[in-house]
Amino acid sequence: MKVTIGQYYPVESVIHKIDPRMKILLLIIFIAGVFFSNNFLGYIVSALFLGVSIKLSKVPFIFIFRGLRGFLFIILFTVVINMFFIDSGKVLFEFYFFKLTSDGVWFSVQMICRLGFLTAASSLLTFTTSPIQLTHAIERILKPFSRIGVPAHDIAMMMTIAIRFIPTLLEEVEKIRKAQMARGADFDVKGIKNKAKAFIPLLVPLFVSAFRRADDLAMAMEARCYRGDVNRTTMYKLKLEKLDYFVLLFGFLFLAFIFFTIDKR
Amino acid sequence: MRFIECEKVSFSYSNDEVLAEKNIDFKRNVFAVDHIDFSAIEGEFIAILGHNGSGKSTLAKLINGIFKPSEGRVIVDGLISADDKNIWEIRKNVGMVFQNPDNQIVATVVEEDVAFGAENIGIESREIIERVKKSLAAVDMSEYSKTAPHLLSGGQKQRIAIAGILAMKPKCIILDEATAMLDPIGRKKIIDIIMRLNREEKITIILITHFMEEALFADKVFVMENGKIVMSGMPKDIFSEAERLKSLGLDLPAAAAIGYNLRKCGINVDRNIVYDEEFVDYVVKSIKSEAKDKEYSRVEKREIFNDKIIEVKNVSYIYNESSAFEKKAIKNVTIDIFKGEIVALIGKTGSGKSTLVQTLNGLIKPTDGEIFVNGRNIWEKGFKIKEVRKKVGIVFQYPEYQLFEETVFKDAMFGPLNMGFSEEEATLRVIKAFKAVGIGSELFEKSPFELSGGQKRRVAIAGVIAMEPEVLILDEPTAGLDPKGRDEILANIKNARSGFDMTVVMVSHSMEEVCGISDRVIVMNNGEVILSGECGEVFQNGEILRDSGISPPAVNVIFKKIIDRGVIVPHNIYTVSDAVDFFKERL
Repeated sequence: MKVTIGQYYPVESVIHKIDPRMKILLLIIFIAGVFFSNNFLGYIVSALFLGVSIKLSKVPFIFIFRGLRGFLFIILFTVVINMFFIDSGKVLFEFYFFKLTSDGVWFSVQMICRLGFLTAASSLLTFTTSPIQLTHAIERILKPFSRIGVPAHDIAMMMTIAIRFIPTLLEEVEKIRKAQMARGADFDVKGIKNKAKAFIPLLVPLFVSAFRRADDLAMAMEARCYRGDVNRTTMYKLKLEKLDYFVLLFGFLFLAFIFFTIDKR
Repeated sequence: MRFIECEKVSFSYSNDEVLAEKNIDFKRNVFAVDHIDFSAIEGEFIAILGHNGSGKSTLAKLINGIFKPSEGRVIVDGLISADDKNIWEIRKNVGMVFQNPDNQIVATVVEEDVAFGAENIGIESREIIERVKKSLAAVDMSEYSKTAPHLLSGGQKQRIAIAGILAMKPKCIILDEATAMLDPIGRKKIIDIIMRLNREEKITIILITHFMEEALFADKVFVMENGKIVMSGMPKDIFSEAERLKSLGLDLPAAAAIGYNLRKCGINVDRNIVYDEEFVDYVVKSIKSEAKDKEYSRVEKREIFNDKIIEVKNVSYIYNESSAFEKKAIKNVTIDIFKGEIVALIGKTGSGKSTLVQTLNGLIKPTDGEIFVNGRNIWEKGFKIKEVRKKVGIVFQYPEYQLFEETVFKDAMFGPLNMGFSEEEATLRVIKAFKAVGIGSELFEKSPFELSGGQKRRVAIAGVIAMEPEVLILDEPTAGLDPKGRDEILANIKNARSGFDMTVVMVSHSMEEVCGISDRVIVMNNGEVILSGECGEVFQNGEILRDSGISPPAVNVIFKKIIDRGVIVPHNIYTVSDAVDFFKERL
């Protein structure tokens, strides 16, 4: 599998045990720190913070790097753009209208660090938090906003159902694909128009089936007394433990450190 | 006390699509449930029979308040369902398990799904945890509490669905064809569980089913037709009316079927004999002459097939090779398929049957081993795989889900056109194929999505037959159909063989079906072929079969019981017709 971001890595570790809400908060703190930081020391400390977290999570480093690979293009693209369009600072290299400056290089290094750390930290969150925990956390975080019309519960329920049916629908795609191939369908055709045409025998049954499943599921949910967020409880309540406060303290220490070491210009 | 009370209840779908889907081909506003009086006492076990579209499911949905009656009223535990404020209480009391195991699981972890209903009715967290634990134990699924549901088998998913209902502490559970999509082992487990719940927890059970033998255990049976209840009574009262049941498109359990056919031969078997034990008693008491030989030899000798059409040599297939999810689906399989025969492939879910049939026409490439079709290695360099697919056609499980064209006719044209036949040639072939499966020309221009379940399936099968492959492979062609639908498909398969000179390979879970139609049976277990031979030869290996999760046909079970009582009868009789043949001279 190419993209590893979004996958859960099921082991037991301190990081896995942290309350998912706290993990989301920490991710935000970390990203804020990385983006405020503007010197080498800041990035070293951020890297250490991230490195120690990954180590503690027992998720192999290679998994995190593979997660980065998917974003390599975006990162490189931003770097190249910045490298050549910033023209302040000492000129290092010039070729017609291309001009590479010291500021440009430094800015690119910053960009690599920021985007790299951001993707690595986000994938660490998904590696150590099961989808269901994540949805619970999002529901709880959004809850205060439901007064102003944010459908917190509905969003969480939709996420849960989506996650639940992804494997089922993937299986279905495979089955329909094979069934149509057995009827002589050819999916390896050239040209966008032909390709679109070739995929009709796959897409129509898939959509029909997805709608049928949605109908069935809605009925099954109603039969089990589902009526949205009315009078609803949850089996596992999220509860903040000592560990969570401890971790939060670390997060603030990190942020404070970054703030005090910012180069003021 | 009457727990459920339906008084002159009617319901009509006012929507054309639904009408079509339910195969109610009358005009609009016809009643799916038509002035029904129905009642159930607390703790009863009720079975509802009837062919597809007879109104069973609609009645079930009226009882748990998903639908509100158009006329009449439904009272559950003293609460009128038409009243909005009672709806949630009624749904809490009457849980429902639906047909498709996949489409009723909401959460991504088993225990969260079981908790779903209890969460909805506002049970407190600690109590939910307690209930989830108990409910999972009640369906023997405790060890799976943290599993992702998509990794479970169909039967296990249905058990989860039952657990989810139990966590709401219901007084009644309705199973709406909940066993239709399961294999025999999964089905038996579900029936065992609900019988236990009925006996021990006094939960009222309403079982809607197409399997007659499941209805035998009920306290009361209702038969529906065109939205009306046309028969009701104890299982005995129902299954003694053989002619009536046949005319309603239903079956008989094995003992009743043998009795009925013997009566037709002029032997006076009591029509009230419907249970195995009663029939065994009757035989033991009144058999005139025991069999001389323990082997039963059929009057007509089976055909012998010699020409190999497909050869499978040492084929293995590994899913997700060299990854954490590596799974050996088939191991070193060697079989031959002969021209003209009908071969049945049996084995429990996950034994490798579906994988094996997919290797036969090159849909998946074996990790190891070779496959020859008409003597040619299909993975040889320069051999076009499409040629193989032309010769070996596969009808997948639930093939109706692959229909996609605007009209029935266009859909069936898809295969032949892909295989390179001209428009005229393809048209001729499609017409011929539709004839073989009994799809009339009035349906040609309809959308496939307007047809009934059974019709859709026959259209899908015709789509493959129209390519006129030399070998027709069908993966569980009768799964989920009612008795009439099953019989039609089996007749289609026989037509395809005789009318098109096809060789047929059929994956099946129904041993009755297998013994009735096939020339040869191949048994798989854990990815290996463990037995192969005529029905009789295969089922002699009782122990091996039991270990592979296969139970013999119901007729054979009766004969074994007779033998156990010390009467000599053959041990190798598997079908009702052979049983009748044997008994008609001896009773």
